[in-house]
Amino acid sequence: MADAVYVGFDLGTTNSSAAVFDGERALSVPSAFGGLLTPSVVRFNAKGTAIVGSRARRFLDRDPDNTRGEFKRLMGTGSRLSFPAADLTRTPVELAALVLEVLRADVEQQVGFAPEQAVVTVPALFEVPQSAATADAARRAGLERVELLQEPVASALAAGWQADSSPGAWLVYDLGGGTFDVSLLESREGLLRIVGHHGDNFLGGRDIDRVLVDWMLERLAESEGVSLSRREPRHRGALRLMTLAAEEAKIELTRAEATSIGGGLELELDDDLIELDLSLDRDTLESLAAPLIARSLALCHELLAQHGRDANDLERVVLVGGPSVMPSVRRQVEEELAPIAGGSLDPMTLVSQGAAIYGASAGLAARTPAKTMTSGGPAASGDGASPSTDTAAKVHRLWLQFPAVTGVSTPFIIGRVTDSGGPRLTSVEVEREAGGTSWSAASWKAEVDAEGAFVVQVELQPRALNRFRLAGRDASGRRLVVHPGAIRIMHGVSLQDPPLSRTLGVALANGRVQTYFERGVPLPARRTFTHRTVEGLGAGTEDRLEIPIVQGEFERADLCRLVGSLQIDAGALAQTLPAGSEIDVTLELDRGGHLSASARVQRTDQVFEQVAHLLVPRADTETLTRSATALNQRLLELHTLLGSAVETAVSTALATLDSRLIDAQLAIEAAQGGDDDAGQRAARLLLEIDAEIDTLEELGAWPELESDARLWLASALGFVSLHGQESEKQLLENAGRGLERAIASRSHALLRQHLKVIRRIGTAARFRNPAAWDSELDRLAADADRATDPRAAQAAVTAGRAARQAGDLERLKRCVRELWTLLPATAEQRLLSHSSGIH
Amino acid sequence: MTRWITENPFFVLELPVDCRAVDIERQGQKLLGMLELELAAAASYPTPCGPQPRTDEGVRHAMAELREPRRRLVHELWAGAAVPPPESEADSASGWPEAFTATGWLRSS
Repeated sequence: MADAVYVGFDLGTTNSSAAVFDGERALSVPSAFGGLLTPSVVRFNAKGTAIVGSRARRFLDRDPDNTRGEFKRLMGTGSRLSFPAADLTRTPVELAALVLEVLRADVEQQVGFAPEQAVVTVPALFEVPQSAATADAARRAGLERVELLQEPVASALAAGWQADSSPGAWLVYDLGGGTFDVSLLESREGLLRIVGHHGDNFLGGRDIDRVLVDWMLERLAESEGVSLSRREPRHRGALRLMTLAAEEAKIELTRAEATSIGGGLELELDDDLIELDLSLDRDTLESLAAPLIARSLALCHELLAQHGRDANDLERVVLVGGPSVMPSVRRQVEEELAPIAGGSLDPMTLVSQGAAIYGASAGLAARTPAKTMTSGGPAASGDGASPSTDTAAKVHRLWLQFPAVTGVSTPFIIGRVTDSGGPRLTSVEVEREAGGTSWSAASWKAEVDAEGAFVVQVELQPRALNRFRLAGRDASGRRLVVHPGAIRIMHGVSLQDPPLSRTLGVALANGRVQTYFERGVPLPARRTFTHRTVEGLGAGTEDRLEIPIVQGEFERADLCRLVGSLQIDAGALAQTLPAGSEIDVTLELDRGGHLSASARVQRTDQVFEQVAHLLVPRADTETLTRSATALNQRLLELHTLLGSAVETAVSTALATLDSRLIDAQLAIEAAQGGDDDAGQRAARLLLEIDAEIDTLEELGAWPELESDARLWLASALGFVSLHGQESEKQLLENAGRGLERAIASRSHALLRQHLKVIRRIGTAARFRNPAAWDSELDRLAADADRATDPRAAQAAVTAGRAARQAGDLERLKRCVRELWTLLPATAEQRLLSHSSGIH
Repeated sequence: MTRWITENPFFVLELPVDCRAVDIERQGQKLLGMLELELAAAASYPTPCGPQPRTDEGVRHAMAELREPRRRLVHELWAGAAVPPPESEADSASGWPEAFTATGWLRSS
């Protein structure tokens, strides 16, 4: 009887690792070279043979053109990385698949078989295309089924598993090679709750290397009079060597107080050779890295503030990732946040261990259920019990559901008899085995109902692996053999469904976003909304209807990232669609954040699916430069507008924006030199700067905003007092109090949030009054000539007036709703909506 | 607005409004298991607006809603605001008295 094992992979930017969970302990899997980490580096030699991991890493400085690392940062983009010696190119997905293949082989070496199912981790702030690319890489590596898990959730789970069960709030501070994630968690009654995430997809150890390289460039300019530029493709080789030297020095300075960089390394520069030999002490490194560490800590404080907490509420902080071992990081985290958890937690392997533990709670045994056991379903995992040694006896097969890992001490085991014939099973006995001398056996009994089902609640020994034996009885009390005859449940921590880390929605023609899934929604999730086409779509023509899918926390579509697009080609339509035709759009996310989308055209009953083009948009440097120039202009105007306000918070925000814009401009320069990753970083920075400038511009208009908000509240109170329900009154009262708090703290985000609720409640109450539909019809009738289909709009106005005359309220409502869908969106709005063709 | 009642997590999970966090996990896990096994007992749940079909997605969503303290408060409010109809209607509204008993707003006799 072989116990099930669960496998987790941490596909990191710099290093990757694998771990195996046997139901009790999570163990890291050593690589073929003995270490617990496999560098995420791939090299192709002239014969086209791939070399992966430690052996490839050695070639990063010797043969950088044919050796690639950090491709994780390009996952989900359309980039192809070239390997000139073998004259081939590979996508980041293909390279990631090679790393996973090696890890899978290491696991096979450890457990005796190649895992078919596993959990692979992704950064919490990965967007849909990046997650999809990771899942694709796992499948290419030979995994039949894969679940993606957010890295901070994995580390939290591993830390929660190993830590004592003391309740309280804690942070997982994960500073990886390329990304920074922070998660706020809460453990209570054995349950681990992810309260929220925050982070920066482009802040990591590599950025510390970058500032260190900048420092080296300054020293070289002083001592050698040479000038290297990231914008120059011919300097890329020298810069790569300097980056490697910087990384080594950074690691060395976690142990030593001072070190040398380069040690005489020769850099080739414009046909000259320059010797790199610089001294660096820990203080200098810490002062160079300080702004980056400060940014990470600021994100931690923001996360806490978003959830109404501060550092005093924290019990502990779990550190994850290589750069988090830097002494200055540890010191500042302890000073600003909370004590660092458990010395035995290894920041480098915690993520893969958590992924393996998660595999157990998700029922994702490394071997497919058919090969290990007969019970099925995601919660049905445990021992692969053989049916019986008594072959003469009739074996009743059970389909069981129970948690393999749970923080609930009295969970349910639910079962159903899946066969018939022989003596009827009337009851099932579940016996918990004694745990040596620690605890005695116990048993429970449940009746099997007419459906052949039973539900039994058992009690677990805390923080231990509990083994249960199952047996059946017939009506006469005779013992019957059942399969599976044994299961096991580990009492540990329960993890909720993974939450979505970025809000996902569809861009509408008016430049706004229809949210499908809010950040924090548990996955999997599925949602359908009905939209209407803005314009007509002629069957058989070359027209195309775009339904852009966006991800981000903004109401404005242009501030969110375009992560895919559903397209309806008019050529495929069975008949012409007039403006205002209804389209049911469904978005679906699985547990790992993998998106599928479909659009159903109601009029023709045609379904357009799997047409989401999941790709992170390519960062074209000309557009980036134009965008940076425009933002710079807006920032200058903001300085003029708000300069005299001199509130500390405002001037700090302006200074931060100035420095981030410089960062973005530097990244654009590097992108011009051929660094795709820098292009992605610049694109994201510019989006963030745009959103922050928006917020500050609103600050300039704060008095009007506040007065508008009060007006909305007063109107809503009026409507609700006349037409609202009791519960609406209470909700409005809460929202009103929230609004006052937002005004007092001058928080735009909070104000918008409460205003949204107030508008919704007020509008719902207003339209309960039939007179509201009358006045809405008149308002819309005045704009009917500007509708996308004026004839249809005029017809709706006429029909609405007739309905009003006839006192037919339902018909009047239908006409008003139709007019809403025919309202025009301006050309400017369409541009900002990623060319959306729907309302 | 009726969705606040028909999809109220306390109704979906058939739990009283004063239930503990651990009750939510245990009950959610039990219902998910029953749904996976396609047991009739889990197929629907009683609400003031009559029985509603129960799905695994709805159960997971309900669990997530009740784990978040502020959202839980709103659902407590709505579950409480759902005033029972007059007795004669209650008799005809299948599943209605059970909903209130399950969620703790009515005492079972």
